[in-house]
Amino acid sequence: MRIFQKTNFNFIRYRKIAYGFSIILLLAGMGSLVFKGLNYGIDFRGGSEVVIRFDKNIDVGQIRLVLDAAGVSGTLKQYGMDRSFLFSTVFQGDSGQLKSLVSNALNDRIKGNHHEIVRIDAVGPSIASDLKWSAVKALFASLFAILLYVGFRFEIKFATAGVIAIFHDILTVLGLFSILGGLFTFMPLEMDQSIIAAFLTIAGYSITDTVVVYDRIRERIRGQKPSEYERIFNESMNQTLSRTIITSGTVLLSVFVLFIFAGPAIRGFAFAVFTGIMIGTYSSIFVAAPLVYDWLRLTKSSVRLRGSKIS
Amino acid sequence: MKNKRLNLLLIAVVTFVAVWSLWPTWRDYSLSKQLNSFGSAQDSLKYALSHREDIEDARKKSLKLGLDLKGGMHLVMEVDQVDLFEQKAWNKDAKFATIMQVVRAKSAQSDARVIDLLVTEFKNNNIRLSRYFYDIRNSDQEIVGKLEKESDEALSRAKEIIRNRIDQYGVAEPVITTQGSRKIIIELPGVSDENRVRNLLKGTAKLEFRLLREPEVMVRTLDRINTYLVDNGVAASMAPVPDSSASAHAALPQSGSTPSTPANKSTSAKPLYDVIVVFQNGTVYTSEHTKEFVSTLLHRSDIQALLPPDTELLLAAKPDVGKNGEKLYSIYLVKKAPELTGGVITEAKATFGSQGVQPEVLMSMNTEGTSKWARITGANIGKRIAIVLDGAVYSAPVVQSKIPNGNSVINGIESLEEAKDLEIVLKAGALPAPVRITEERSVGPSLGADYIRAGMQSLAWAFCTVSIFMLVYYKKAGIAADIALVLNILIVLSVLAGFNASLSLPGIAGIVLTIGMAVDANVLIYERIREELAEGKSVVSAVTQGYDRAFSSILDSHVTTLSAAFLLYTYGIGPIQGFAVTLMIGTSASLFTAIVVTREIFHLLLAKNLMSDKSFG
Repeated sequence: MRIFQKTNFNFIRYRKIAYGFSIILLLAGMGSLVFKGLNYGIDFRGGSEVVIRFDKNIDVGQIRLVLDAAGVSGTLKQYGMDRSFLFSTVFQGDSGQLKSLVSNALNDRIKGNHHEIVRIDAVGPSIASDLKWSAVKALFASLFAILLYVGFRFEIKFATAGVIAIFHDILTVLGLFSILGGLFTFMPLEMDQSIIAAFLTIAGYSITDTVVVYDRIRERIRGQKPSEYERIFNESMNQTLSRTIITSGTVLLSVFVLFIFAGPAIRGFAFAVFTGIMIGTYSSIFVAAPLVYDWLRLTKSSVRLRGSKIS
Repeated sequence: MKNKRLNLLLIAVVTFVAVWSLWPTWRDYSLSKQLNSFGSAQDSLKYALSHREDIEDARKKSLKLGLDLKGGMHLVMEVDQVDLFEQKAWNKDAKFATIMQVVRAKSAQSDARVIDLLVTEFKNNNIRLSRYFYDIRNSDQEIVGKLEKESDEALSRAKEIIRNRIDQYGVAEPVITTQGSRKIIIELPGVSDENRVRNLLKGTAKLEFRLLREPEVMVRTLDRINTYLVDNGVAASMAPVPDSSASAHAALPQSGSTPSTPANKSTSAKPLYDVIVVFQNGTVYTSEHTKEFVSTLLHRSDIQALLPPDTELLLAAKPDVGKNGEKLYSIYLVKKAPELTGGVITEAKATFGSQGVQPEVLMSMNTEGTSKWARITGANIGKRIAIVLDGAVYSAPVVQSKIPNGNSVINGIESLEEAKDLEIVLKAGALPAPVRITEERSVGPSLGADYIRAGMQSLAWAFCTVSIFMLVYYKKAGIAADIALVLNILIVLSVLAGFNASLSLPGIAGIVLTIGMAVDANVLIYERIREELAEGKSVVSAVTQGYDRAFSSILDSHVTTLSAAFLLYTYGIGPIQGFAVTLMIGTSASLFTAIVVTREIFHLLLAKNLMSDKSFG
């Protein structure tokens, strides 16, 4: 079976349209980040969360009333699909107190519908800022490592374009998180630790995709004149297109499975990886390689690549 | 040919090791399944006893589940370094107090090192550290060095003490580590009584024996405070107090049903005696719903200035039950300097008291403590000595006679369980500085079971869809890729089991993601082989060429993913590390399976003439 017979898309020619599309995506995301901001989870803002699960169906409003009457202030949301609710409030050093308060209130006022507190998370403000910093450090350290490795294996222009593509992907997903954050009850899209893991996964995947295209270019570009570059870039991308689509497909399949089955704790992560993989696939074709092409064209330099010992 | 044999051997060894290291997990699973299948509890107990060694061995070596899957508690505790440094300082004055207050406020909001905050704050005020710390001749740098050493020691001592407490409490496989300069991370799988554990961990366990002042002094002091409150416009000074006391519990008002909160009484002429009661025999009580208020009042610096020098008002740890069933907390006026501290305690034992109903904790002291205790009790016959733990008075017995054998008793304990916990913390010793819980994540076992089910479902679905897709798309070659995929998952799980790492929900997510990504190497190779075939090459040379040419992109792409995963592991905390680990193992494993395993499969098939140019779909 084949999805693509020999393809012959002229990717390089339409790159400006892609640039425009990317810029619009990025600007929309940035705009939302500035005006709407992100929906931070307790990992990054500090706070306490309690997940309560009831035996029978119950209305959110009813629980909210009971908790209000007991004097516990905070926000209550549906959590996942199965009669579970997430109650979040300000940081309580002693979450035992919070637990007994919530538990007592619900026991007293909601009779005949047993509940269980299945999870308590409490993150203090100093930990939250700690987590934020280590997340930022991890992100930038890995971008730097990728820059070094790709720069060493290919050339610094390739490496820079690859890292720009990663930035493009992560910023786009971040923008999507800002735009869509809080719109869906089944997926609140909060920024937490797992989203940072998602970003690093996206970074790894995006550069993998890009490297595969680069590798094909590297293989074919040796000893060619700069005037041939457009043809070589196009052919390389077409030749790797089938692989790009299939691998993205299998990864998207498994991430989709995660999104459906793995429950609310993983849903934000799965969403981030899903969109990230799609955008990463797009950017390796329409952002990374075309940027290298433009860079080579504008500087009128030819490529001296390392590391293409095989073939 | 030799190379080929080596490869086959390598594959066999890897497969064998993977299966071997996962074998106990399988045993564990089937044994517990068997245990649950018995009709009666007796049968299963009998089975458990007869297969005890088997079961224990399998359990010890099987793949561990993370806290989120098994249920349990993850705690991050922070050693209060500000308090520690305060302890180390001498000739403290008001200036020092204000500086430390600023440092405390700043340290709560950032993760900067407390010592740095301290130095900056002292610099801002143009005060040398030596004015308060160590020797006046020390330079700032020397003092910083000493304080740093002090706080490192405090952290490791605190860790040891917490480990002792947990070991004595009895938690299977606790993991206790330190992080940075002031954090202790505690993982307690399978803990169900979170409240008890929390109480066990957070107390400093600072035990003190303090002399009580005479009842007359107490009464005079209270009168003085009352007059002061009247003179100073109680309405103004008292109203904000309940607020500040409640600020830590903003979302948790003490009790909605309190009939009259202290603030409402601000017009009274006897503001203090509205919240406390003085009995004929000189004991002083406050009732349960005014306790919080009184405690804040006693901590106010203007109130403390009214006390006789070197004394302190402390509340009882436990209430006495009054005539009408209300709970009353005693208030004691004690000397600030303890006569003796808990450092001399060598043994503690929870028992029932002489009447056999009241739980209590018996303590014995070392020789130094024994002689001091004999001297103290001998000199204070007829007076009361308060036994104070973490700033709360447990009991204040009257000294009847000299105690020569170094024994003492804590009573006024509600339950035997609590007495047991006291025994644990007293035996483990006092923490060098208070610790606070700054992060807590606990997952109940039922949610953990849900997570496992969800994780397994995702794994199964991802594996099925991806492997079926590979079969459909690449036909015969897809089989090789699927075998590689199975081996890949086996390797990931076995490495986790072998290195005693635990599998968490993010870890499962990592494996699911690996399933999607691991086929990438095979896809790269197969696409290449298809290209070579399309150019009219024979199957044999197409396979060889395909593997050779795809190698560089496989290597580059795997190394970049690996480096991202590695950095995620280095900087990530807790659950994220689990994800990073599985991603790393999965990526390395897929490098091996794609390049070595599938290639050998093709070699075998080619040698037997089972491959044609149709075999790649």
